[in-house]
Amino acid sequence: MTGEIAAILAVDGIASGAIYLLIGLGLVLIFAVTRVIFVPFGDIAAFTALSLASLETGTRPGTVALVAGLAVLATLIECTALVRAGALSRLPRALLFYLVLPLLPAAAVWLVAGMALSMPVRIALSLALVLPIAPLLDRIVFRPIADASVLLLLTVAVALHFALSGMGLLFFGPEGVRTKPLVDAVFEVAGLIVNAQTLLIVVAAVVFSGLLFLVFEYTLLGKALRATAINRTGARLVGIRPATTGTIAYLLASLLAGISGVLIAPVTTIFYDSGFLIGLKAFVGAIIAGMTSYPGTALGSLLVGLLESYSSFWSSAYKEVVVFGILIPVLLWRSLSMAATDDEETEE
Amino acid sequence: MTAAQLRLAGLGAIVLLAFFPAILSPFSITLLNFIGIYALAVLGLVLLTGIGGMLSFGQAAFVGIAAYATAWVTVKQGYSPWLGLALALVLTAAIAAILGGVTLRLGGHFLSLSTIAWGLAIYFLFGNLPMLGQFNGISDIPPISIAGFSLAASQRIYYLIWIILIVALVLAANLLGSRQGRAIRALRGGRIMVESLGIDPFRIKLVTFVLAALLSALSGWLYAHMSRFVSPAPFDVNVGILYLLMAMVGGMGHLSGAVLGATIVTLLRNSIQDYLPKIAFSASGQVEVVVFAVLFILLLQRARGGLAPFALRYLPRVQPTPPKLVGALDHRRQPDRGTPILAVSEATRRFGGLVAVNSVSFEVEAGEILGLIGPNGAGKTTMFNLITGALPLDQGRIAFLGRDITHLPQRLIARAGIARTFQHVKLRPHMTLLDTVLLGTYGRTSSGFLGGALLLDRAEEHRAEAEAMRQLQRVGLADRAFDLAGNLPLGNQRLLEIARALAADPALLVLDEPAAGLRTAEKAELTRLLQALRAEGLTILLVEHDMDFVMGLVDRTVVMDFGSKLCEGAPDAVRADPRVQEAYLGGVV
Amino acid sequence: MRKIIAAALAVASLGVGAAQAEITVGFVTSQSGPGSSIGVLYDRGMKAAVEYASSIGTEKIKFIQLDDGSDPSAATRNARKLVEENKVDLLIGTATAPSTIAMAAVANELKVPMIAISPITVPAADSGDRWVIAMPQPPSLMVKVVVDRMKRDGIKNFAYIGFSDAWGDLVYNGAQKPAEANGMKILTNERYARTDTSVTGQVLKIMATKPDAVLLGGSATQGALPPLTLAERGYKGPLYGTPALLNADFIRVGGKVVEGVLVSAGPVIVAEQLPDSHFSKKISMDFRAAYQKANGMPTTDGFSAYSFDAWLVFLDAAKRAMATAKPGTPEFRTALKNAIFTTKDLVGTHAIYNFKPGESYGVDERSLVLVRLADGKWKYEP
Repeated sequence: MTGEIAAILAVDGIASGAIYLLIGLGLVLIFAVTRVIFVPFGDIAAFTALSLASLETGTRPGTVALVAGLAVLATLIECTALVRAGALSRLPRALLFYLVLPLLPAAAVWLVAGMALSMPVRIALSLALVLPIAPLLDRIVFRPIADASVLLLLTVAVALHFALSGMGLLFFGPEGVRTKPLVDAVFEVAGLIVNAQTLLIVVAAVVFSGLLFLVFEYTLLGKALRATAINRTGARLVGIRPATTGTIAYLLASLLAGISGVLIAPVTTIFYDSGFLIGLKAFVGAIIAGMTSYPGTALGSLLVGLLESYSSFWSSAYKEVVVFGILIPVLLWRSLSMAATDDEETEE
Repeated sequence: MTAAQLRLAGLGAIVLLAFFPAILSPFSITLLNFIGIYALAVLGLVLLTGIGGMLSFGQAAFVGIAAYATAWVTVKQGYSPWLGLALALVLTAAIAAILGGVTLRLGGHFLSLSTIAWGLAIYFLFGNLPMLGQFNGISDIPPISIAGFSLAASQRIYYLIWIILIVALVLAANLLGSRQGRAIRALRGGRIMVESLGIDPFRIKLVTFVLAALLSALSGWLYAHMSRFVSPAPFDVNVGILYLLMAMVGGMGHLSGAVLGATIVTLLRNSIQDYLPKIAFSASGQVEVVVFAVLFILLLQRARGGLAPFALRYLPRVQPTPPKLVGALDHRRQPDRGTPILAVSEATRRFGGLVAVNSVSFEVEAGEILGLIGPNGAGKTTMFNLITGALPLDQGRIAFLGRDITHLPQRLIARAGIARTFQHVKLRPHMTLLDTVLLGTYGRTSSGFLGGALLLDRAEEHRAEAEAMRQLQRVGLADRAFDLAGNLPLGNQRLLEIARALAADPALLVLDEPAAGLRTAEKAELTRLLQALRAEGLTILLVEHDMDFVMGLVDRTVVMDFGSKLCEGAPDAVRADPRVQEAYLGGVV
Repeated sequence: MRKIIAAALAVASLGVGAAQAEITVGFVTSQSGPGSSIGVLYDRGMKAAVEYASSIGTEKIKFIQLDDGSDPSAATRNARKLVEENKVDLLIGTATAPSTIAMAAVANELKVPMIAISPITVPAADSGDRWVIAMPQPPSLMVKVVVDRMKRDGIKNFAYIGFSDAWGDLVYNGAQKPAEANGMKILTNERYARTDTSVTGQVLKIMATKPDAVLLGGSATQGALPPLTLAERGYKGPLYGTPALLNADFIRVGGKVVEGVLVSAGPVIVAEQLPDSHFSKKISMDFRAAYQKANGMPTTDGFSAYSFDAWLVFLDAAKRAMATAKPGTPEFRTALKNAIFTTKDLVGTHAIYNFKPGESYGVDERSLVLVRLADGKWKYEP
């Protein structure tokens, strides 16, 4: 391997790592606030890419039907719960949040699909379209079992991934898509040819993770999220509703997934089921950081991206084995360095 | 229904199974073969996840390792399938031991996530190794033959599959009823209680993990020689999740759930395939995945116990027979009254900047009841945790029966003869009273996993049962021996914890706020019990802040306040001490 | 006890399925899972075939279709179900190679003739009998034609990059022998997964070997990933591929970069460009018409035509077998097998089929033509 090849691979690895970073941050965010290990996260990224591609080719994305279906289901569940609780006064609010708001972008896309749209409009529409998916899934699937053990929530999340990927096949079909590049330029940095798209991915990852950091550190919302993450009961006592912070976490995470979907769509072919592997690699990055630390997740994702890039050069056939196999030494190291903590699990 | 009748019914069912190939259509036998093979893998998952509490998505990977091992031995090396079985079992157990060793010490979700990851890694490994035929797999696997009699036809391998399944079920049921099996059942719900009984949870988890992998190995071996072809896809993570679905549908907490779940899911898939195309013909395959996933989620939301509990409700219940009080486990000779048995010197524990226990020293003498008292936040419970090893000391030294136990892990301290109860009762609600107390005898008995599964432990088991019954009698719960621990009122649960602790035959019994939440009559009963125990020569250390309860009972008290020892002495002297009055009520007692 | 009997009855009731006199054909394909992008095409081709002819003389054909979800276990179960429960006389399937091999094992064991529509190495039964034929051009032939063409184009060495799956293996293994025979060198064996986001590492390794040409062992959309990356890294040499690249998405995604790529293909792909004298011209145009009618859309792919050809082979053989035995009986299955294995000069869309006992493949080099991508269209290159 020459220095030049090493450098090219490093650039490539950093770009992949940036994608994993965006998804990994979303995963850690949701896990911290709701204790759900949100496996279907990669699927949402894939759905964004598929929606974007549909808009590009002038067809109506299958996501419209998906969002509409989820919105109706979530509204039914919410309204039934409210009627049972006798809280009829909260019905209009529920209708607004669970039916009207999610359906707005869906309706907009439904109307304009087929028209010639400019790139920014397409991206904005795709993002708006997928944004409600995670919060709606939260309401339908996770809220009824919010107090269950982490393991049960994880099992549900895995099952949810299969439901989503099955629906993905129904709505998008088996063929993969690849969108037009967002930017079509090539730079030369210190003798290295760098694709503008790669640069965009890295910049976007840095900007959005920076924004997330600012939100967490300096806004009331971020403080509420952090409070819920540290102690749900305590948060409730000071007037933070865990359900609300959960929804916000899902919305933020949805946005991150959507952005990574938009960024990745022109770089590779996205299939209805591509999200799983991408999501799992992001997981590996997050696990390296113990599922808790945001800077750690950044380093972990970068490591996964680089590892993937270099192993694709040395032995491309065993690339996945290497990426997922790295977990074994990582976990060994964590298990040996772990302090004697009292990890009492809850009795079911 | 008696146990004999139940055995007869079971035998009848087995005879019926034996006649199935004669009366059922060939495809029903094919389905039953798949059901049997799935049920074996799911049985492992029920042991691991349902009973042991370790969630694994990687069960299919172990099935795959075994299937590939036997395929490689028979096709690429040309040896007999039986040698393939040997390699399959050894290889699977070795890999499970390594993976388990790495992940089982970590928190629950790390294990689960890593099972997804290495499940995928193994899938790609199968697909890329040239010696395993890469993604095309290995075909032309020979059928199993027994003494020259080939089991190629599905009606023949059917018998092998179901014999192995039934044997596995019986062995697993035996195991769960034995010493080590009770330890497996106690795993769910945290390790503190398990360790306090002298059980090494890591070892139990590891063995359970390997056992589950071995059951998968049997499943994989049968699969390879039944379908005569292996390729990576049937061992993908998706299939691992299908196994989990089967276990969930059947009922995670019951061995029979494995067979029930495998049957229902397999038959359901089969009929979905028949009927779904009539509703949504062009997209049946896709809809199947969605239907199953949604079903799975609904099940997890609404009926986590699965179907086995429902089914069992309709089956006639077997009346358990109380164990005979014959035989006993060896008892320790209690140390002579008045000799010091526990010596705490300058124990210190800090949490960050807070000094919870600050250089506290005291001694406990054999045959006395010592009360460790103090107001809320005095550091009593921390002191308690330091003695029992639940927390490590920062400074100081603790000796028990002349032996330094300062840095011993919790379970070795328990083995040394300190038995404890918990302020917040730690019981397994789904275990019977008898099983709960039998858990206490873990440190005094020795039978292993194999002995338990093969029923070689019966003599010891009978002695342990007699011992457990005696302890239940002692606390007055003998007539409810077969009730579930979770159904007892709090007062009785505390007594049950004491019985469990007594079953360990301790030299020192440490009780963490035993009177908390008890009614007056219950407190009186507890007092009588503890006095009786003292009369028998047992030493008791009591952490309590109910002054009335303590003062009427203890021989001496040690008073703590703000992490330091305030004073010690006879109850009356302590009560009169102005420092104590100050600490408790600001001087008004 | 009552429960047990009820359960037994429930299990027993699964085994219903009466014998019937009409000819029954069981078809398995992958409508879900990773194999579905091809599996769906097989499905549509079969719909066209049934549209083209759904009876033999006056005898109606009963047609049963199942989905295997790209899972070999499901394929095994489906094959057994079709044979044991539906008593089919013939199996046709399926979309992925592992699933097809799994089905073939069942066909051999239960002695039912089977037409494989994926390229596989067909196993023989324990007794040495053969019950399975494969329709497609063997991958080795698909690659051989290409490698021979490379030789003609004056190429001395080439690099290989393909999927890390069964297809990637088949293409690489198929290229080795003709390359050796022609004195050419394969410089790399690079692999990538269908879901990979980047093949930069693999492509850099290829570039480092300075190949005369690159052979592509991918398929469909994701087959365009290596050419795109190669172009990005400055590769200007020729590209060769297999019929797996004959796909609209490959052209759409690859755009200008994949212009000029030369692949081997069944003649059906360029049916309208073939001279009228070509064997495939008429039947291919018939197939396209039937496809349009059955699916409401036109076709230019080659996979659906394999299903169609399988049906043609079946119709031809069944006609002869019905003279000797009654459908639904073991005798008929044997007769059908014998008839299939003596198929002679049957004209299909892909090839002129000649099956012989003891051989699984029945096509020759006439079944492949070379086509070049020019202006987004495949051009026949005689």
